Amino acid sequence: MTLGTQSDTAPAPLRMVILTGIALTVGGAASMAAIALVDLVALLNTVLLVEPRARVQWESVPGFVAVMTILVPTLGGLIVGLIHRHLSPAGRPLGPPDVIEAVQFHKPLPDLRSGLVSTLSAALSLGTGASVGQYGPMVYLGAIFGGFAHRLRLGVPNLASIAVSCGVAAAISTAFNAPIAGVLFAHEVVLRHYATRAFAPVTVASVAGYVIANVIFERPALFRIEFPGVAHGYEFGLVAILGLFVALAAIVFMRLLLAIGPALAQRIRWPEARTAMAGLAVGLTALILPDVLGIGTSTLRFATIDGAFGLGELIVLIAAKIILTALCIGAGFSGGAFSPSLLIGSLIGVLFWTLASGLAGVPTSGAAIYAIGGMMAFASAVIGAPLTCILIVFELTRNYDVTIAAMVAVVFSNLVSHRAFGRSLFDVQLARRGIDFSLGRDRAHFAALKVVDFLQPQAVTATADDRPAEVAERLRAQGWREAFVLDAEGRLLGVFSPGAQEDPPRVAQGLAPARLVFDDATDLADAMERLRGFVGDAVPVVCGETGRYLGAVSEADLVSAWLDEGARLRKEENASI
Amino acid sequence: MRRSDLFLLIFAMVATPARADDLTIVSWGGAYETAQRQAVIAPFAAETGLDVDVGVYDGSWTTVAERGAPEGWDVIDMLADQARVACAQGLLLKIDPGALFAPEALADFAPFAPDVCAVPQNAYARVMAFDDRAFSGVKPTRIEDFFDTDRFPGPRAVQRSPDGILEWALLAEGVPPEQVYGLLSTDRGLRLAFRKLDTIRDDIVWWQDPAAPAEMLANGRAVMAAGFNGRFFDMAQRARAPIDIVWDGRIIGIEVWAIAADTDAPDAARAFVQYAADPATMARLATQIPYGPTRRSAFDRIGINRDLGVPMRAHLPNAPQHGGRALVRDSGWHANTEDLRQRRFRDWLASDD
Repeated sequence: MTLGTQSDTAPAPLRMVILTGIALTVGGAASMAAIALVDLVALLNTVLLVEPRARVQWESVPGFVAVMTILVPTLGGLIVGLIHRHLSPAGRPLGPPDVIEAVQFHKPLPDLRSGLVSTLSAALSLGTGASVGQYGPMVYLGAIFGGFAHRLRLGVPNLASIAVSCGVAAAISTAFNAPIAGVLFAHEVVLRHYATRAFAPVTVASVAGYVIANVIFERPALFRIEFPGVAHGYEFGLVAILGLFVALAAIVFMRLLLAIGPALAQRIRWPEARTAMAGLAVGLTALILPDVLGIGTSTLRFATIDGAFGLGELIVLIAAKIILTALCIGAGFSGGAFSPSLLIGSLIGVLFWTLASGLAGVPTSGAAIYAIGGMMAFASAVIGAPLTCILIVFELTRNYDVTIAAMVAVVFSNLVSHRAFGRSLFDVQLARRGIDFSLGRDRAHFAALKVVDFLQPQAVTATADDRPAEVAERLRAQGWREAFVLDAEGRLLGVFSPGAQEDPPRVAQGLAPARLVFDDATDLADAMERLRGFVGDAVPVVCGETGRYLGAVSEADLVSAWLDEGARLRKEENASI
Repeated sequence: MRRSDLFLLIFAMVATPARADDLTIVSWGGAYETAQRQAVIAPFAAETGLDVDVGVYDGSWTTVAERGAPEGWDVIDMLADQARVACAQGLLLKIDPGALFAPEALADFAPFAPDVCAVPQNAYARVMAFDDRAFSGVKPTRIEDFFDTDRFPGPRAVQRSPDGILEWALLAEGVPPEQVYGLLSTDRGLRLAFRKLDTIRDDIVWWQDPAAPAEMLANGRAVMAAGFNGRFFDMAQRARAPIDIVWDGRIIGIEVWAIAADTDAPDAARAFVQYAADPATMARLATQIPYGPTRRSAFDRIGINRDLGVPMRAHLPNAPQHGGRALVRDSGWHANTEDLRQRRFRDWLASDD
């Protein structure tokens, strides 16, 4: 249910101070928390021999390394499953879809305990080498800090949503050393509008995150890219084709990811067994293909080096990474899909480059441009943030040529994936919860309002045995022209309108079927569609399960609700400070 | 008064009259030890009145294990990775950095602060240098140029060892310094590094004596060389050879002072380590020999080498004004991957036979 804005707003200068303070506080906290999460994961990766640098130092004891390779992700999965089952009220990992839902509908995030457990389990998942990403948990962690603003009453409309977006922006800014991309991600994925009231504090928070990561902690970017440029004009055409191929792979990945969770839940009853099994699959695969372990930062770097992978090796690695990531996320490991998307996309880019330059003999600028293009084309299809992905490339490379090439790949990928799958994995996940953004933000908001919340208390009911004169009298008293006729169990039989013809002895004889009936699941958007051509006082609303009459909604009330919600959205999307 | 000064003063006051073996310090000999004697050891002895004996060893932890106790070693000059292994073997005395140095002094150390067994004392670097006469037009400026025999043809002097050259190979592939050791930890990374080495295989002139690369450049046997910055500096400044150093891709190694586990003079040893780690002492050493200090504040004090009349700051491997990429040698990684790297290097050498 969408909440209205606060009526007691503070004066504009005070709102400016409040928003700036919130932005700096949330941005700073989110940035430091993101750094702490990355460091914790790195520590676990080192201690548990997930990281190549840690593994190689035991290479003289290969048996020990092999045992650790299998045991660590398996036990990690077991612990993650148990944690979710016993410690988290939500009982599942939380991520960007939960943040989007909270921000869009001005709801609080899921309870703090579930959020903290989800973050802890994400650190464990990533630390034990599961094939999941760290950006989803970082985004949620940033959102947690913003979520505290939900309890504040400071006279700033939509403060909590803005604060959550601040946390998200700071987390992305910190992760990529990309403050502009942080701002864009928060708007493109979470807020989905560009009101000054939100844009200004989100920008401040993103810059705060960047300053903390770069100036105070002097953190390197999670990956740095140096690239001289695009040598041949036709390569822009090649990356466009690459974008199309990547989109197909992204669609396969997302469909698999969405299908595998329910399929596993049907077959394996215990959640911890599902995650342990996924961990075991990762461990066994990693014996032969260590690249599948964890975030894959090294593999991502290799993708930018010409000839680092053979053709067959690439195909196997891409397939393994897609399947294992879908399996890990579907089974219940806590982590995002963004980091694996970067890796899978870059490998597909390298595969494309290998085919183009190696087999077809086309002169190219090297693997890096295709790796970067593929990386961002895949990631943007998954998270539904083409602008963010383009800006990440620009901020990481400071290179115009590469950014434009990546932009071409991103656009063509999004064209296909949006059409064939949906705007993003997040949106499809939300749609499965009944929150559909596919027809726009306003449509989703109208769909969140249920007609059952607008019932008219004055609606007149009658039974089949009532005399028409009595019913007519009651209708005159209420100023209505139609009565809703119910049976003994309270189910709707039809509509009775006195005077439409000569009145029968009983209402039952003059009963007409209801021209339009809503049930308790009917939302405002659907109701307005169905009201086209409707003539009458009101529409009866019945229980979808039992058919019992719940009440009636007038056309006027529905139109008013539609206009009010539309006005509220316009106000939110165009609000200054 | 700094805590270290106070410590020294108290130590000097309570110290027993000097004996012949008050303190035995072990270093590497040669010009390096001479500079240490002048800049560090002699001033310390003069200030404390202790009798300091200086020994020489080969730098390996195994020698510390063999000779340290029998010969009564107290303070040992070590490479950071050797000290790490010696520490793990129990050959070194555990020190409490917080007790030896004030918090602001600990924060002044870079790139590493003192740990439980070692106090960083100077930085050296493995660098690329070239014979200026060999390239009349464009000069090499990046580590990629070492592997570019088309633009810069001619023999390359390389140590017959995987040390350093593997790191350079990946740097030349565009890998950022912070990821080099991570990638070299994988089979794929090693394969790529050796693939890069393949590109100059026919142009490599091997060396094993650290003095050789500078000599090879000076006498024209090589146009480029991988070697230690101090050796190139000496050849360029003292022998006036037309050698220029490329600082891009420099691999900075750290030398440390460590205290032997069975020292019979732990207080004197700690006092020496404190004295040697003072910025003024570090600066004195850096003006004598081109090894950089491991404390930031020491850079402000480095001036002209009196023998050569050369301002020394520009010749130090970790001088802040050097641009390009720098890689700090990961001593832990080196210590734990010795067998792997040597095995792969031998295989690569054999693959040409």
